[in-house]
Amino acid sequence: MVRNKRVGAKASVLAAAAALLLTACGGAGVDAEASAAPSGDAALAECGSYAIAMHAWVGYTASAQVITEVAKANGCDISQVTLAEAGVTYDAMESGSVDLVVEDWGGGRWQEWADRGALVEVGDNGNVGIIGMYVPQWMADKYPDITDSANLNKYAELFVTDESKGKGAWYEGPPGYTTIGEKLVSANNLNFTVLPQGTEAALIDVFTKAAENETPAIGYWWTPQNFLAKVPMARVNFPTNDWTDAAEASGLTDYPELPLIKLATPKAMDANDAFTKIVKNFKWTNDDQNAVAADIESGTDPAVAAQKWIDANADTVAGWLK
Amino acid sequence: MSNNSSAISVKNLWQVFGPNPEKIVDSPDARLPRAELREKTGNTAAVQDVSFDVAPGEVFVVMGLSGSGKSTLVRCLTRLIEPTAGSVVLNGENIMEANAARLRELRRTKFSMVFQNFGLLPHRKVIDNIAFALEVNGVSKEKRHARANEVIELVGLQGFAYAYPEQLSGGMQQRVGLARALAVDPEVMFLDEPFSALDPLIRRDMQTEVIRLHEELGKTMVFITHDLSEALKLGDRIAIMRDGAVVQMGTAEELIANPADAYVEDFTRDVPKSHVLTVRTIARPLADSETATGRTIPADTIIRDATAAVLDANGPVGVVEGGNIIGYIKSRDILQVVGGGTHA
Amino acid sequence: MSVRTEPAIKIAPKSIRRSWLLGGLLIIWVAVAQILQGKATLELAVPENSKFTAWAGEVADSIRDNRNDGLAFKYFFNPIREFVDGFVNIIREFIAIPNGSSSIPVLGWLGVISLIGFVVFAVSNVRMAFAAVALTFACGALGLWTDSMDTLAMTFAAVILSLAIGIPVGIWAGLSDRVLKVVTPILDLAQILPTLVYLAPLALFFLIGPASATIATMVYSIPIAVRLTAFGIRGVPTSPVEAGTSMGTTKRQLLRKVQLPMSSRTIIMGINQTVMAALSFVVIAALIGAPGLGKPVIDALIIRNVGDGFVAGIAVVLIAIMLDRSTSAAITKKDTFVPPSEADRKRRKLALITAGIAAIVGIVLSRQMAWAAFFPKQIDIGSQVANASDSAVTWVTENMELLTAGLSKAVTVGVLNPLESILANSPWYLTIAMITLISLILGGIRSAIVSATLLIAVVATGLWYDTMITFTQTIVATMLTMLVGVVLGVWIGRSVRAERALRPILDAGQTLPAFVYLIPMLGFFGPSRFTAIATGILYSIPIVVKIVGQGIREVPVNMVEAATSTGSTKWQLITKVQLPAAKKSLLLATNQGLIFVLAVVVIGGLVGGGGLGYLVLLGSSKPELQGKGLVAGFCILLLGVMIDRIAQYMVARNSAPKH
Repeated sequence: MVRNKRVGAKASVLAAAAALLLTACGGAGVDAEASAAPSGDAALAECGSYAIAMHAWVGYTASAQVITEVAKANGCDISQVTLAEAGVTYDAMESGSVDLVVEDWGGGRWQEWADRGALVEVGDNGNVGIIGMYVPQWMADKYPDITDSANLNKYAELFVTDESKGKGAWYEGPPGYTTIGEKLVSANNLNFTVLPQGTEAALIDVFTKAAENETPAIGYWWTPQNFLAKVPMARVNFPTNDWTDAAEASGLTDYPELPLIKLATPKAMDANDAFTKIVKNFKWTNDDQNAVAADIESGTDPAVAAQKWIDANADTVAGWLK
Repeated sequence: MSNNSSAISVKNLWQVFGPNPEKIVDSPDARLPRAELREKTGNTAAVQDVSFDVAPGEVFVVMGLSGSGKSTLVRCLTRLIEPTAGSVVLNGENIMEANAARLRELRRTKFSMVFQNFGLLPHRKVIDNIAFALEVNGVSKEKRHARANEVIELVGLQGFAYAYPEQLSGGMQQRVGLARALAVDPEVMFLDEPFSALDPLIRRDMQTEVIRLHEELGKTMVFITHDLSEALKLGDRIAIMRDGAVVQMGTAEELIANPADAYVEDFTRDVPKSHVLTVRTIARPLADSETATGRTIPADTIIRDATAAVLDANGPVGVVEGGNIIGYIKSRDILQVVGGGTHA
Repeated sequence: MSVRTEPAIKIAPKSIRRSWLLGGLLIIWVAVAQILQGKATLELAVPENSKFTAWAGEVADSIRDNRNDGLAFKYFFNPIREFVDGFVNIIREFIAIPNGSSSIPVLGWLGVISLIGFVVFAVSNVRMAFAAVALTFACGALGLWTDSMDTLAMTFAAVILSLAIGIPVGIWAGLSDRVLKVVTPILDLAQILPTLVYLAPLALFFLIGPASATIATMVYSIPIAVRLTAFGIRGVPTSPVEAGTSMGTTKRQLLRKVQLPMSSRTIIMGINQTVMAALSFVVIAALIGAPGLGKPVIDALIIRNVGDGFVAGIAVVLIAIMLDRSTSAAITKKDTFVPPSEADRKRRKLALITAGIAAIVGIVLSRQMAWAAFFPKQIDIGSQVANASDSAVTWVTENMELLTAGLSKAVTVGVLNPLESILANSPWYLTIAMITLISLILGGIRSAIVSATLLIAVVATGLWYDTMITFTQTIVATMLTMLVGVVLGVWIGRSVRAERALRPILDAGQTLPAFVYLIPMLGFFGPSRFTAIATGILYSIPIVVKIVGQGIREVPVNMVEAATSTGSTKWQLITKVQLPAAKKSLLLATNQGLIFVLAVVVIGGLVGGGGLGYLVLLGSSKPELQGKGLVAGFCILLLGVMIDRIAQYMVARNSAPKH
């Protein structure tokens, strides 16, 4: 008797579970509503689903978000995957979990993956990347010759901290970024210790404090990045040379100006849908990117910031879709 | 007692733990004290050359202190532990030769076991615990529950069939243990210190219960205990184990009357002999100065039970066995035993 | 008796001699290190490869080259990846990502919440069900519905696959001594392997993405499932097993009818642990492309702000609490085998049916109505929470700078730098010699051999300097952890009230992924080695406190009573009786503390910790340093094994003369 009751209870749970599944399998009524709601004017062009690699810096977020919004408006299904730069992202493209890198700073490291057919180069995105070593503006004002790398050793003592082992502290970029600090230091015989900063936030922290408190600091920075507009800094010039391959850079050179490129999977480029067009044609200026980045940084939701720019630059966007 | 008529016949059973156990069997090393053997070879000879026969319907008690090997011995008898050497013959079948399937069958039908810690399955109701052996043997639910209900009645567990073990007291749990062992109607029951986890009062009840069940069902039992009074109370015959070997085997009376060595004597010292010995053991020839009273008592009367009659007689009473008077006793003889006077 | 007591008497002078020896050794070490400062440190510049790391890089390259048509890839790695990928996707499409051509997952938010409520109610109780619903809803309210669902889906996928492998293997190891012997060293190794180490090698074979993340998570959580299942099977009391056997069960019957039901509590506990391990790993696996809450956490760590990361961290915590509490409620339910009374069962059946109907309604609604499908945007307090936490952190750093910056500076200048100068900035041979000698004194000859071998292996890899940097941070963090942990442990060991007060905090602390701790620490201390250390301390304190507390509580009462009756003060009682008696627990706590700290200190590479962790991260994004990253992971492993071995030998040595 008792047993039978228990069986009954179990059966009722099973029945409930089955019912849950059945209802779950029925057609989803939401889709009719959902697909009717957004972007009525967008040509309901066939467009697949794609994943865009997201990198941590705001400039990248701006570019990626604009592409995301434009592609979504054209019927593509876009997801974003946050990853570190270069190697990890290329592997992700090879596995098919990422289809697009909006701006690659990798300095040609992707070639090996391109050779294996994991990704293709899609050309410049219009932004030019400039990496360099910077000091706060007040230092450049106070010690005008500090912006020449040859004079850095003269001031090395100013930069000493608890972390820097008696030499000057050299705040290096995060591990996911293109950095050659150690080579610069050794090739130019600088009396500095390279301190790898794990994050961009760390660098912002260093430079903000250096400007506010007039403390000495030298660190890695780059444009396009609207931070320079907020906290003025001066670039330290190193002897320049040809610099094409990050891995092979000798260190006797400064970081080069780097036309930033787009990388995409063959799948995305062969589809020939709206996404393919957008990826192929996407191009904008450093100012464009900085405008969107500034909005994002001031707390605007990236999607909203991107949409604002899209609305203001309808012609440019229309050009990408041709 | 010949092998053929025994329920169980155990011959030269050995259980040696450690490396190369076979080497220890029958070797002089086996006789070494435990610590020395372990030092020398790394072995422990838990059971050493044990042989005995149990007659059908007999209650055979194995008694010893902890570490004496008695629990290992009983596990060897059912091959819960594989013995190192020797044979165990159950109703003519040497179970050492049984393959895995046959062994399972024997366990399901021919013998059963009661454990010190009850060994009940906490996730099953009393009735399903009792019917477990039948269940694993593929007996239908209806049949096995019917049988379980029979034994529930038998051991006095009425009303508890649908309770869970943890809802029962220790004594009741062991009743479940007994019922479970009886459910398969085994030929032999092995009871491994079944009552030593119980309170003394409940233990006494349970002992009485076992005696009652034995009288009703006449099962052959091998009963393991460390408690001499329990052994004396229940055992038709008793084997005393020490360090893996049987030091003496016999009826209660034989052990008390003639301890084989100091160890057994030490063991039996505190037993009130008048409760165990029969008048036969103290019967003596009539002294010259005495005159028989003409009263007689049977030789197998326990001394305690004879007390009233002998004191009443006011003179020597004849001890009768097989129609003949084998000797006489009088009140002084009895008082000597009861008073703990040394007994030759 | 009389023979055995002798060594116990001798132990006192021996240990005094030992500490003199140690002290002398340390003085010599410091002195020599000063003289030879900066010599033979084997420092390898970050962009440089050693011979060994260059070789490892070539191996990695050739593995990558084989991805398309290598046999191992074609017939082994790729099929596994595809299977796992497919499996993960099914689950993600159920609750997290758009299902096929639809714009929503199979279940919209209301459907998911209803289902969670129903399932939690079915396995535990109504209070837990409501709590689970509230916690899940809160994740949505933080504006992280989709990410939370992705994390949940990834966790479930990994848990299901882990249990599918872990429970059978665990059962096997529970039944067979031989299997246990084979798996034990693997399980031990898995336990001391920091999470960060798995990622790069697995990504090499399974690439980047949800599949790789799931497989990495499985590698992490399967050992836990195996260990607890085996433990459960072995923990079944002997007498029911013997009773079962004596009644002629087959092995299968014995397993199914006796061993499994009786170990179900432990096995469910194992499921709980597996779930928590999987969750914490899924968050970290964002580094190799796991979707979900790990993304915003990493974003926050790398760039944006403490606030956003904090919000994501809270969501992780909410999910952790939900999963932990509901699975533990299922454990408590197993405390007794006695089912509830007839009336209760009837009531429960009714409740289940009601809940089931409610869940079905929720699910149907979530598939028909937009408001029930897409989590309402109006309910989004994420940015408020982010701002609040931002300003809280700003306030703390501005107003309590003495505490944050002061603490950081004190530890860095006072402990970290001096120790680093001894371990890392003195000649390698000096460091190896000294560590070997110390482990000889503390753990005996075998531990000395192990230390020397492992350290020489580290030298051979070329990453000696970075290893010593990480080792230094690990030691400093462990010292501080033990300092705090022993105080708190003694406190909860002696006071039931303290135990009751701290217990929930410790439990919560243990369920949180290490990653989550990094965010507030980064906020308070900025990017530095100290942030890595502080995070390590915070992460390992709960386990240390628990072990020490238990050790103190287990000191025999009569020992304490005897000491009290001879008039000991409280302080004497603690230092002369309880702590010495709990020595084994202290060692065990140190060992666990070291392993936990190591796991976090390497993640500290993300926030300026440098050392091996930084190299691992660097290797994953810079192909030319890939070999270096892999070897750095290997060095972390060597370090972990060395620490563990020394501690194990110490424990063995200290527990030997007890009897």
